[in-house]
Amino acid sequence: MKIVLYLHLHQPWRLARFRYLDLGSGRSYFDDARNLDLFRGIAERSYRPTLDALLDALEHHSEFRVSLSLTGTFIEQADRAAPDVVQRIAALVRTGRVALVAETYYHSLAFLLPPPELAEEVALHRRMLKERFGVEPKVLRMTELAYSDDLARFAEGERFHGMLAEGWEGLLAGQSPTQVYCAASAPTVQVLLRHYPLSDDIGFRFSSHEWAEYPLTSEKYASWIARTPGEVVGLFMDFETFGEHHPASTGILDFLRALPDAVAREPHLGWATVEEAVRIHPKGTVSAPVTVSWADQNRDLGAWLGNDLQRSAFEAAKKVGTLVRRLGDPELLTTWRKLLTSDHFYYMYVGGHGADLGVHQYFSSYGSPYDAYANYMNALTDLRQRAVQGLR
Amino acid sequence: MVGWEFPPHHTGGLGVHCYELTKELTRMGHSVTFLTPFKGPFTEVPGVTFRSPGGDRERAGIPLEAYEELPGPGPGAMEGIDGYNRWIAELPDAAGHDVIHVHDWFGTVGGADAARRTGRPMVVTIHSTEYDRSLGHPWPDVLAREQLGLDAADRVIAVSRHLKQQLVDRYAANPAKVRVVYNAVRPSERLSPLAQSRAIVLYVGRLAAMKGVDTFLRAAARVAPNVPGALFVVAGEGPEYPRLVTLAVHLGISDRVLFLGHVSEEERDVLLASASVFVLPSVVEPFGIAALEAMAAGVPAVVSKTSGVAEIAAGIFAVDFWDIDEFASRIAELLEYPALRLAMGEGGRWSALKEGWAERALQTVEVYAEVLRDAPRKRA
Repeated sequence: MKIVLYLHLHQPWRLARFRYLDLGSGRSYFDDARNLDLFRGIAERSYRPTLDALLDALEHHSEFRVSLSLTGTFIEQADRAAPDVVQRIAALVRTGRVALVAETYYHSLAFLLPPPELAEEVALHRRMLKERFGVEPKVLRMTELAYSDDLARFAEGERFHGMLAEGWEGLLAGQSPTQVYCAASAPTVQVLLRHYPLSDDIGFRFSSHEWAEYPLTSEKYASWIARTPGEVVGLFMDFETFGEHHPASTGILDFLRALPDAVAREPHLGWATVEEAVRIHPKGTVSAPVTVSWADQNRDLGAWLGNDLQRSAFEAAKKVGTLVRRLGDPELLTTWRKLLTSDHFYYMYVGGHGADLGVHQYFSSYGSPYDAYANYMNALTDLRQRAVQGLR
Repeated sequence: MVGWEFPPHHTGGLGVHCYELTKELTRMGHSVTFLTPFKGPFTEVPGVTFRSPGGDRERAGIPLEAYEELPGPGPGAMEGIDGYNRWIAELPDAAGHDVIHVHDWFGTVGGADAARRTGRPMVVTIHSTEYDRSLGHPWPDVLAREQLGLDAADRVIAVSRHLKQQLVDRYAANPAKVRVVYNAVRPSERLSPLAQSRAIVLYVGRLAAMKGVDTFLRAAARVAPNVPGALFVVAGEGPEYPRLVTLAVHLGISDRVLFLGHVSEEERDVLLASASVFVLPSVVEPFGIAALEAMAAGVPAVVSKTSGVAEIAAGIFAVDFWDIDEFASRIAELLEYPALRLAMGEGGRWSALKEGWAERALQTVEVYAEVLRDAPRKRA
């Protein structure tokens, strides 16, 4: 059994309070100082110690592998707030045992926008990985691990060998989440699945005292993986799981540091990057006529586009995109794309299941979804006015 | 229960609170003797006995007519209130009650005397403070009565956390004995809006300095050029009225502002059914039940951050009371983004009706239970 540990690094350009009365003022929509401040804090608590732990694991365990995705907005902020974080990632990549995963540069829902937005954003991201890390990624992930037959076809057209997806029952149709599959819609694309129970044991449950398995030791966890039948197990989670969602005081970093040893003691366990894993012979096909994501209880796009506020904001963004593209001003295009980052829509989530609401509030930078929507719409309205003026 | 105003004779949140509270308390099986200086008739509540000093007029020395209008600060005003308090202190059957519950400052002297004499525990509910009502120029006589009530009370109920903090900061109330019980509203039937083509931004309330209605007008002046159709409606009366009318003229928006004067509850409900945004810009607002009523009617509300209602309501915009641009922006956002108006209207309605007067009465009874648990110790 090969373990695919895949960690996702992302930071959005959060908006400043941009009032309705600020329309036309020329003020920036983004709160750079606050974004970089937040970044520095997370770098201290999570990025640095976790990257160091990973590098240490790579140095001491020739078997160890890890895969990362890093959004363009993450790298932009890292460059300004904590350049050493980028250097640490580069050091990981130089070991040759770390795969980087392609995605949309702006962590956007570009796959719901008319072409060529998706292809352009993926191209931007590929160029960034090439320029910054000398890497040409072969595996694609979509924002929030979105997967569908259409997206697999897109990946095939872009010559990716594989895509990541949630190992959700709706997608698997009775098949095991611990095998590699072929995309039903795109035979050259292999689908690698997130094992959500084991991933969430670390991601969500690790520090919960109410959890029957608390405290989770690396030995116990390795033994669970060893007992799981199959060829490959996808442990996909936010990078910030280590040190941020679970602070260092919970022992999460010690858990990570001890994991390679614990895995080494299990005779049938090994590690693989996403690129190694997609070379495993597929056991069948998976098909997703409707998009599946890794979020919330429903594994759909409801977290971003589930309510009227979110849909109206996204539709408005789509319309402004038409104007911005017609104008062709690169600065406005970049600003528009920063507004496409899915987090903005996530903040507008209103209700739903208790557990999900808690998760949404944890990630929100606003007092309420109404705040988030009003502020977003102000920025977008201002951008539209600028585009319209430019077109005159 | 030592009260003051009561429907249909009431001007503020206190009267509504007492009415709804006694209604729920009696529904729960408790019986209430409600003391008020005013002559009835009052809105009948089964299980509530109204008592006013009218019957014992000569003994208590109360000039009852004086209470046809609420007394304001001035010579002679306190004499009547002193009489009311003497009458409370000497009520022969006070000992027949389990708890003496005093609202605000009017009856604190008599309530505390009665509690001392009978050994009954005393609860004081504070709806607003003299500091707030006077915008920082308190009337010492009133202040002293508030202080006496807070000191003598076994438990204090504040209608918001913000107010509780003020009681601790300004009156040195012991935070351990202050509980927070919010106001509530009842769901009303949804009326159909008036036939109209203009968006209405509504203020309903007294035209008093603490209400910050000038902020409403200044914000209106900034919204008006951006949202050409919007009409700003001020419903209510009060001492600030002439100044506010003049201000509207100076701001150049006299054609965009409608001063309606006093409106009945029915008229208010019709206005709410037609309004796009409700604004409560109070400088101080211990609770702000008007905003909760608007939300219950599905109207999104913009309130000042200091309003107690902002503590419990989720579907609301809370703004610093001095931040005119932010008030204007929030109003414009609600007018310009229909999806926001609808979502916040729905969210606000749900949030306003989540806990009703039944819950508030239960929370009040919990406070009674607390003081009754402590009562034997007190008497010993």
